[in-house]
Amino acid sequence: MLFVCLAAIWLTGFGLVRWMFPRPLGWSLHNALLLSLGIGAGAGIASCLYFLSLVLAGPNFTVLASVTGGAAIAGLVFGLLTRRQGTLLAWAEGPDVPDVPWYFRGLFLLAIALAVTSFLVAVSNNPHGDQGAWSMWNLRARFLFRAGAFWRDAFSNDLGWSHPDYPLLLPGLVALCWKLAGQESTGAPIAIAFLFALATAGVLTGVLGVLRGKTPALVGGTLLLGTASYIALSAAEYGDVPLSFYILATLALLCLQDRHPEDLRFSALAGLMAGFAAWTTNEGIIFLAAVIVARVVATVRFRGRSGPTALAPEMLWLIAGLAAPLAVVILFKLRVGGASDFWSEKPALVLQHLADPGRWIVTAQGLVIVLFALGRFLISIVAVLALYWYLVRFKVQDSRDRAGLATAAIALGLTLAIRLLGDILFAGNLVIEIATSFERVVLQLWPAGVFLFFLASGPLQLTAAEKPAPRNKTSRKALKPSRRAAETH
Amino acid sequence: MLPASPACTFPSVLSAKLIGLARHKFAVIALAAIALCSTFWALLDVLGAVSHNQIFGVASFENRFDEFRKTVRPHSVYGYVSDNAPNDPSARPEFYLTQYTLAPALVKSTAEEPLVIVNFHSGKPDYGLLRANKLALVQDFGNGVMLCRRVQ
Repeated sequence: MLFVCLAAIWLTGFGLVRWMFPRPLGWSLHNALLLSLGIGAGAGIASCLYFLSLVLAGPNFTVLASVTGGAAIAGLVFGLLTRRQGTLLAWAEGPDVPDVPWYFRGLFLLAIALAVTSFLVAVSNNPHGDQGAWSMWNLRARFLFRAGAFWRDAFSNDLGWSHPDYPLLLPGLVALCWKLAGQESTGAPIAIAFLFALATAGVLTGVLGVLRGKTPALVGGTLLLGTASYIALSAAEYGDVPLSFYILATLALLCLQDRHPEDLRFSALAGLMAGFAAWTTNEGIIFLAAVIVARVVATVRFRGRSGPTALAPEMLWLIAGLAAPLAVVILFKLRVGGASDFWSEKPALVLQHLADPGRWIVTAQGLVIVLFALGRFLISIVAVLALYWYLVRFKVQDSRDRAGLATAAIALGLTLAIRLLGDILFAGNLVIEIATSFERVVLQLWPAGVFLFFLASGPLQLTAAEKPAPRNKTSRKALKPSRRAAETH
Repeated sequence: MLPASPACTFPSVLSAKLIGLARHKFAVIALAAIALCSTFWALLDVLGAVSHNQIFGVASFENRFDEFRKTVRPHSVYGYVSDNAPNDPSARPEFYLTQYTLAPALVKSTAEEPLVIVNFHSGKPDYGLLRANKLALVQDFGNGVMLCRRVQ
């Protein structure tokens, strides 16, 4: 029954994204990307519908089943029966001819195998997740599922240590699966965690493949799947990996928008993903604000003369996409969510924290340590990426990517800066906050950071084969004199 | 001055290309190898922790509260007391686990509620602790889990 629930949720999302970007069914990069985006879209839609049903009709099984089933059927009708042809998302041509070397495909498959094995070992021994899962995410899901008419107890101030102000995408999704399956199980949060990790890797590899080609896509995917602490965080069943999916999806879709400025549905879907980020955690709300600012600045600054004229329609579609999930977030914050421990600090204390240079220094130190130790790599990933940059270099190969790169860089930088500023101003025990949450905050941005890095890196070639020359009379005639000259000399 | 012949420039172009190819191959293989080795190492760490029983057992903790959980009703509120030492690092996680196990009841980390859950690790009641917190035993659920009431 859990499988049926998850299939219905995924079908809802896949139907929506396929309706927006239709292509014939069949194995292709386009459809693989839609499958990955569909997981996140479906999860967000299902969670929003669950919360709205809960608020409007209470924990009524008939209503929940009808709403979820109706959404899945709508997804099926719109997505699978559409006959339109939309923008094609295909592998970009890379310098490797005819294809990526076999050994590198093997490394990518090995990365997938190791990541899946690590995830399964972790969840088989910790099916309830790590402490944050059973003290916050899954705890909230249990209240929503078990409490019946008293579901609002999940946000009681007596549970202030469990962040009752945090939005409900993940707990709502878990509780919905339990409700539809008729029983509580550790299978639901585990499956959801796995699907989000899989979808994140799928979006990263897919969009890099569209924008840069197969080789950078597989390199980026290998790096993400080889990030041990990211896989561990996924198995911990926290909300950080779902948030990282939505952040990556938003920024990747905005880059695709720059490649296809005539198709504004990319902005609409990016807005929807940003809205779901806000529905996932409070950091998602920060990201939502940051990406809007970043998009405005980047479009005006880096899209040339077409920037200002393209900005208005794109922003309208972006806002149209995020409107629905943002409305759900606002409803939750105003009518349901508990008190935030951040805002409980006295203003005088906040000002004192602001003026304390020690807090700024400790935060900066903590960030540097986290960056150098990020991912539990055997060698610091900062050093490895620096070496990679030295050997491959950065080069924006397509000028249309400048705005997307700038959007991503500004949005990620702003999100991180505001989050750290929040800790400096509001965290009671800054040292504990750094020790327990800094790495997770950076890992939320890690998939998007990997995307940004490989989008900016230079062309990558692993094979010596030349691309075949274009076959036309002009080129054949042009070749002949130089060949004669080479033979003569 | 005659331009350099293709035969002279061709080897230098080729060698530059091969150097670039080698650089790219090294960059990619180094990145992939470090990522894969790191994941493998982390996997060995997890397997090691499992074999030495270093994983915090949520299921075993929940099993202790199984009988008590069957009596829990939504919207009920309980206090919580345990025989953990004040500086015991597992005290707080155990409180969170107790709340997780007994949801949808609300559990507060205080002895000031009319009904209080007491968590004894030894399995035997510590009546001194109960008296110190002004608690009287209501029901013993076994495995060190007891329901007590606040007395004046």
